[in-house]
Amino acid sequence: MSRYLLHRLWQSAVTLILATIVVFAGVRALPGDPALALAGEDRDPESLRAIREQYGLDDSWLVQFWQFVSHAARGDLGQSIRTGEPVNGMIAGALPVTIELSVLAILVAGVIGVGAGVIAAVRRGRPAEWAANALALLGLSVPNFWLGLMAILYLSVALGLFPASGFVPFFTNPVANLHHLVLPAMILGTGLAAVIMRQTRSSMLDALSADYIRTAEAKGLSPRAVIGRHALRNSLIVVVTIVGLQLGALISGAVVTERIFALPGFGKLTVDAVFQRDYPVIQAVVLVTATAYIVINLLVDLLYSVIDPRIRVRGES
Amino acid sequence: MKQSGNRLRREHVVTPRLVFVTAVLLVAAGCSPVQPAADGPTASDSQSDVFGEPADPAQVKAGGTLTVALSADPDKLDPTLSRSLYSRYVFHTMCEKLYDLGPDAKVVPQLATALPTIAPDGLSLTIPLRQGVKFADGGTFDSAAVKTTIERHLTLAGSARKSELGPISAVETPDPNTVLIKLSKPFAPLTAALADRAGMVLSPAAVSKLGANFSGAPVCVGPFKFANRVAQNSIKVVKDPQYYDAAKVHLDAIEYRIITDSSIRSANLKAGDAQVADSLSSQDAPSLQKDSTISVLQSQSLGYQGVTINIANANGVGNPLKQLDTPIAKDPRVRQALDLSIDRAALVKSIFNGLNTVACSPVSPKSEFTSEAAQVCPAHDPAKAKELLAAAGVSTPYKVSMITSNNPDSLRLAQALQAMVKDGGFELVIKPVEYASLLDQQDRGDFEILQLGWSGRVDPDANIFNFVGTTGSQNVAGYSSPELDKLLTDARQSTDKAQRIKLYGDVVKKLQQDEPLIYLYRQRNLTGVSKKLLGVQTYPDGVIRTAFAGFAK
Amino acid sequence: MTTVAVPIRTNRRKIARRILRNPLAITGLVVLVLAIVLAVFANVLAPHEPTQTQLDQAFAPPGTAGHLLGTDDLGRDVLSRIMFGLRASLHVGLLAVATSLVIGVPLGLMAGYFRAIDALISRLTDLVLAFPFLILAVGLAAIRGASLGNAAIAIGIAQIPGVIRIVRSETLRLKSLDFVAAAIVEGASDAWVLGRHILPNAASVIIVQATVAIPAAILGEAVLSFLGLGIQPPAPSLGTMLSDAQQFAARAPWAAVMPGLAIMLLTLAFNIVGDSLRDALDPKASRR
Repeated sequence: MSRYLLHRLWQSAVTLILATIVVFAGVRALPGDPALALAGEDRDPESLRAIREQYGLDDSWLVQFWQFVSHAARGDLGQSIRTGEPVNGMIAGALPVTIELSVLAILVAGVIGVGAGVIAAVRRGRPAEWAANALALLGLSVPNFWLGLMAILYLSVALGLFPASGFVPFFTNPVANLHHLVLPAMILGTGLAAVIMRQTRSSMLDALSADYIRTAEAKGLSPRAVIGRHALRNSLIVVVTIVGLQLGALISGAVVTERIFALPGFGKLTVDAVFQRDYPVIQAVVLVTATAYIVINLLVDLLYSVIDPRIRVRGES
Repeated sequence: MKQSGNRLRREHVVTPRLVFVTAVLLVAAGCSPVQPAADGPTASDSQSDVFGEPADPAQVKAGGTLTVALSADPDKLDPTLSRSLYSRYVFHTMCEKLYDLGPDAKVVPQLATALPTIAPDGLSLTIPLRQGVKFADGGTFDSAAVKTTIERHLTLAGSARKSELGPISAVETPDPNTVLIKLSKPFAPLTAALADRAGMVLSPAAVSKLGANFSGAPVCVGPFKFANRVAQNSIKVVKDPQYYDAAKVHLDAIEYRIITDSSIRSANLKAGDAQVADSLSSQDAPSLQKDSTISVLQSQSLGYQGVTINIANANGVGNPLKQLDTPIAKDPRVRQALDLSIDRAALVKSIFNGLNTVACSPVSPKSEFTSEAAQVCPAHDPAKAKELLAAAGVSTPYKVSMITSNNPDSLRLAQALQAMVKDGGFELVIKPVEYASLLDQQDRGDFEILQLGWSGRVDPDANIFNFVGTTGSQNVAGYSSPELDKLLTDARQSTDKAQRIKLYGDVVKKLQQDEPLIYLYRQRNLTGVSKKLLGVQTYPDGVIRTAFAGFAK
Repeated sequence: MTTVAVPIRTNRRKIARRILRNPLAITGLVVLVLAIVLAVFANVLAPHEPTQTQLDQAFAPPGTAGHLLGTDDLGRDVLSRIMFGLRASLHVGLLAVATSLVIGVPLGLMAGYFRAIDALISRLTDLVLAFPFLILAVGLAAIRGASLGNAAIAIGIAQIPGVIRIVRSETLRLKSLDFVAAAIVEGASDAWVLGRHILPNAASVIIVQATVAIPAAILGEAVLSFLGLGIQPPAPSLGTMLSDAQQFAARAPWAAVMPGLAIMLLTLAFNIVGDSLRDALDPKASRR
């Protein structure tokens, strides 16, 4: 196990280094630079020069890369060129919002997806399967910005059920916090629900036809008990797998959701930073996302072996 | 005298009182101010502007937090370094300026007590300061603070104010309540600059403590003070009890929430999650105007939207000009043809619901330097456009590609232009580019024609020289006309209003002959305000004034 | 060669029969065929030029003479734009998926077959997965300009890891099967084994992946359009129509609802067909 872990850590390090290099070179390959984006319409050559000098944008890439890496290694991600704020603080502020949003979305998606998936598998060929299927596929087929906008127009503006924007930190006021996040989480969760539903359904079908279930049935256990016990375990695996795989999609989805609901999250930070060519922020965002991806997938693998001992040797195949 | 800056806000009938106030100032000063305003109202179409009214203290209750939905994230909250227009929305509640702008785009005193008196040679300005004013950190506002601030504007690395302040050679403090600014050359636009970020005064204590990181915890004089900022998302200011006119401040706090999509801003306004929303789309305005709980303030921008033609910007701005070898770059007739094939009136009416106004020159009709000559407009004439193209030896349809910003409004405009210029013999290819790339291509001269606007400043010089002057920092057309340069330089250095008006009329005439930049329309800044809130005002500088607003009782 | 028959898992007729037994699948198929016909023959079927603006006829409601589904803010015919929009959206969907398959399938095959380069390819996969997709998309649009092709490529790149993973695991599975192992033992070249044994048998998995990836790409295009990184105007795609229309959703809801419905029906049809195909190809499904 420890050797396996070591191996995974080594792999992770390689991925992280690659991501750092790619993002560092990538942002500098973009047309325009932070000075230009910052100066905007009020730019003149002299102040552009001054900004570039101030942030060392005129230094060679090697120097800049060393600056970035050596500071990042010490945990200092630099300063936003646009607002002058420390990037560490920006990320520390944005990350919890997106994590909470994602967790809520996964919760919503898990409940809907697993429920619909189990129904679809058990009631195969009946109207219930149809309904569950159609619902999940519909969720997968609606552009999420469109759904968000409709939700704001009808649920917030017309009915006044939920706030249309804004964020209250959980520890300031948990009720207001959830009230603000219900709608975005549902919007973000719909697509995910469909994915989970499909996986649950097919893994349930697998499980239902698997030998051990037949054995259980043969032993006289009631079908309901068999389905119940195995459904739970299976769904857990499904949700865990999908969370690992869909993390990127979740963050991308969060970008749109956060933008529509004006949530101070990580996704919004990401896209705005790219549009503003805020190099330190983009670099930090990629570094953090890559780390999160690696850590979550590592956890998923470990979780796997806890949930399902049969997969303990995974990674060897 | 001390009251003049504030009386503005209290009076319902603003303009006549302002004229009176400035007239008194004139007499009192005994010297000619830079911005004489006593000549009576200038020609304008202000009947359609809705600036909003100051709050009637009797109808307003104390307290409450106002949420303003802001269309873009301000940059650094440091008046020296800030460049984004949106930072001004936030600054106006926490960083007062030596001068302010009235609803008629005229300069009025704010932290100063009178307009500056200028020495006859135009080389020194004397500014009297308000007394008994405290910074939000408790420090005293005086001439030394003004001196520190202006010197910081002039010297700090990356300062965005340096060019606005012009040829300042020294700042002196004859006494704590007087500032003397010395110039090496006369510079008429200075007073207007001091009515913008260059005129904001920073707390010297905060400056020496924070240095270039002032934006982390900015401290100025203002009705509100900085509380906190959440990256890309919100900025909060809270009431400053030490403010010299604190009795007029009704709100406890203002939160600026960044919502970039205009349809979502207006949805927030309708849902009551925000009480003020800036830069509404002309698409949303009609439905909001019908909404009984919302009023829509309108003010015409001092800037313009236009199409710039790349004439000789082959090497990038700031590098030697090199004539481009395309018909539209070489032959002014082709550019005139493009101008003639645009039906501005139809554009404004159908694309912007008639909310914007036609523009054919960089001089705003709101400006006190406008004239009939400055507002001349060539009539829409696609037939003549085709004739001009034929005369220039260009075969039609003549294909030109236009880069434009990729936001929905710009794309709508581009597509409407595309349809219009077809009749004049042009085939317009639209290349949407994301903003930072657009700036990059623009500065490198990597475009044929480009559509972009300018938000506008009070003084016409700031709306013209940088864009079409040969040495202009944003002369992305690569246009160079010694004749125009002379007109602009003369206008820049003249302190005689009548002469400046005449010169700007000549500038417009010359620009319409050469057409390096085809002006299209002036945007109307649309601000939605909940009727629960009283006292929100917008002025032609585009800044939404919320500082003295309050919730209705 | 070997006498072991190449077991294409289920024969085509059986698959077709399974799909045709499923009414949902038939519905999906019909919608899909209809959408494809509308898109392919848009220039014949559309009542108007999709880019023809008539400013005096802006915001005509559905049912207006000559404009069955109304007009948009520039007086363009919504029906015609939807037809051409379908074309653009299908184009993006197919191009994106083609991009991901062309790159992903060979890499997946190699990763599954040659242990030596598995690690390298896995790192690359991880890299793309760990990299926020939107940064990639925005970057590409910034460097190369907003265009249909660039949007498709950005989406395609984001879909590569999924393809690699699926093809890799299928290759691993197939490699361990008797008939492949037999071929390897008999000294067949790697290229032969991959091309003749593994690829044809992995085809069904790849096809299913593609049918699921196309609707995802179509929605991806809509998101990029929302961020201003979609296709070059005035050409319509369903995504740009949708994001444009939300600017005036209150005034002309049809201009937003119609392309919204179109995009939903199109992706729904793809998803349904993909789902049924997956079931039909899945031998386990037939056991019940």
